[in-house]
Amino acid sequence: MPDLSFLLAQSLSGLTAAMFLFLIASGLSLIFGVLRVLNFAHGSFYMLGAYLAFQFVLWGGMGPGRFWWAVLGAALTIAIVGGLVERLLLRHLYGKDELYQLLFTYGLVLIASDAAKKAWGTQQLSLSRPPGLTGSSRVFGTMLPHYNLFILLLGPTIALGLWLLLNRTRAGRVIRAAALDREMLGALGVNVSWLYTGVFMLGSFLGGLGGALVTPVRAIVPGMDVEIIVEAFIVVVIGGLGSFWGTFLGAVIYGQVLAFGILIVPAFSIFSVFALMAVVLIVRPWGLLGQPLGT
Amino acid sequence: MLRRSLLVTLTAALALLLPSYARGEKIKVGFPIILSGGGALFGEPAMKGAQMYVEEINAAGGVLGRPIELIVRDTKGNADEAVRVARELILKDNVDFLVGTVTSAEGPAVSVVAKENKIVFIAPIPKTDQLTAPEKLHPYVFRVAANTTVEGRSAAEVVAKWNVKQIATIGPDYAYGQDVTRAFVSWIKKIKPGVEIVDQEWPKLGESDYTPFINAMMGKKPDAVFSCLWGGFFVTFAKQAKPLGLFEAVKLNVIAVGEAGSPETAKTMGSDYPFGIWGNSYDAFYWHPSPAHRDYAERLSKYLKDPYPSSWAIQGYTGMQFLVEAIKKAGSTDSEKVAKALLGLTIDTPIGRQTLREKDHQADRGQLYGKMTLDPAIGFAVMKPPTYIDPSRFMD
Repeated sequence: MPDLSFLLAQSLSGLTAAMFLFLIASGLSLIFGVLRVLNFAHGSFYMLGAYLAFQFVLWGGMGPGRFWWAVLGAALTIAIVGGLVERLLLRHLYGKDELYQLLFTYGLVLIASDAAKKAWGTQQLSLSRPPGLTGSSRVFGTMLPHYNLFILLLGPTIALGLWLLLNRTRAGRVIRAAALDREMLGALGVNVSWLYTGVFMLGSFLGGLGGALVTPVRAIVPGMDVEIIVEAFIVVVIGGLGSFWGTFLGAVIYGQVLAFGILIVPAFSIFSVFALMAVVLIVRPWGLLGQPLGT
Repeated sequence: MLRRSLLVTLTAALALLLPSYARGEKIKVGFPIILSGGGALFGEPAMKGAQMYVEEINAAGGVLGRPIELIVRDTKGNADEAVRVARELILKDNVDFLVGTVTSAEGPAVSVVAKENKIVFIAPIPKTDQLTAPEKLHPYVFRVAANTTVEGRSAAEVVAKWNVKQIATIGPDYAYGQDVTRAFVSWIKKIKPGVEIVDQEWPKLGESDYTPFINAMMGKKPDAVFSCLWGGFFVTFAKQAKPLGLFEAVKLNVIAVGEAGSPETAKTMGSDYPFGIWGNSYDAFYWHPSPAHRDYAERLSKYLKDPYPSSWAIQGYTGMQFLVEAIKKAGSTDSEKVAKALLGLTIDTPIGRQTLREKDHQADRGQLYGKMTLDPAIGFAVMKPPTYIDPSRFMD
């Protein structure tokens, strides 16, 4: 029987994985919740966010704060890209069959992956952890890297910030209203079209931010877009598509199931997470905190 | 009247001759390889190596007086797509031979196509033993890559010299990861009795967060680690493991195969590389076993316009070299004759003498191993010194 401190450390490692996932999946969930668009290209925004952060650090020269500026610059650039995509292209597909939107966003995935290959080649890239967060501290008898600690704190902060935005501001009320009844909202004089653009930009920003923030702990490689989108989908499906706290809960559960699943049956790391998703889908097809469609 | 019928006959004869003449002009080699997604990391440089070889051979007059044409197709890292493009290359482009594929899923799949069409297929990168296992072997498939048995056993030979007893392994959960880990474990147990495998971690292929796996591994208190995470997966793993203290906890007794010691990976990671661990590579521009290799590295550097040329190019290069030497030996481009010529063929490659073994169509390809040490002059880790482990003595 492993001792308690080890189990706590394992739980913490699962939580770290969960917070990274939440950062990425939150934008996917937000866009689906309001626009009812399943954005396949969210993984591409994540990948481009990582590549852009790398590029900005390269251009930024030496400076203690350059990593953070690069992260912010990458996320904002992706937000603008997202805004353009929504405004110029995606908008024409609202109200059409969902298949068109799915095909469209899948097309974006292919375009983005080829564009990234043209711009940055096929070799893997890597960034170092930013100055000030390179060390580790001893917690529960194991090491907790400071960058992981930062992510552990950032995840809930972003969750809280988004919650406040959605629940405590006028903009948030309008966004929630749009998710419920878009036509009524339009009749009441709200510019739903720009609201959608804004939400899509915010979702893209979160995807780009997630990509930029993983660069110190992951390699930047072609194919990272497709890898992450599968995990992000699992998280939002477990939590409930479009449910904000559901995504948070989904990520936390994903991390814990992964962390303890591999302790019990090491050979089943893939299996445990998919089994979790299957169970959730059987018991609550709309996800843990999601709402059944049509209610 | 006579003149006219003569003309008709001549034209008809020419028309009959023409297609075969046009086909006979160039020797066409189909090159299905990953050019998009994660595997492009290896596919692209392997293609460049093959292209450089083809350009050189064509500049020197070709083979049998005929130039070689390389027809490249993207397999997208997907076995179904690899099969599709391989068929297309054979049926539409009328290629005479196939050289290519990267993954352990693509290689065996394309091998089946080669068998059906009776066309020589040389695999430069796929490592899974299954490609040339007795039940899968056929007269047309050959491999110039090291296989998983060779790689696993080479790593075990290195670790056997360490003063360690409790080993943990980590590898991606699919054919390559399982095969090479199994080969390592069985060989280390054989040549170093008393070692114990205390933990085995199997993250999925494409895992992006190894933290829970690393923590779980450290909980079992190993004193050495075997990893076969390749390419970007090793980069991600090492970046996450370093601040968790894994490398210190095992006193740098880590062997990372899957070419984690390649100049590409070392350069990507710069000062983030876990200096002091052992890595392997197919080639290294700073390795100087012979004047021939030095010359090759210089040509490649010029061709790729890169002062630190790729270690994967050699795989495309030797794959094509074996094919061309076999065509020369057979004096023909007939696949059946070339396949016979390849059996037991020994050639001088830039990395030294290589033989395609008659019994299993497998090259006696070893790899470079060495302790990864920072070279301040170039700013990234190099194998110091790079040692080629010749696998002949422990191949089955």
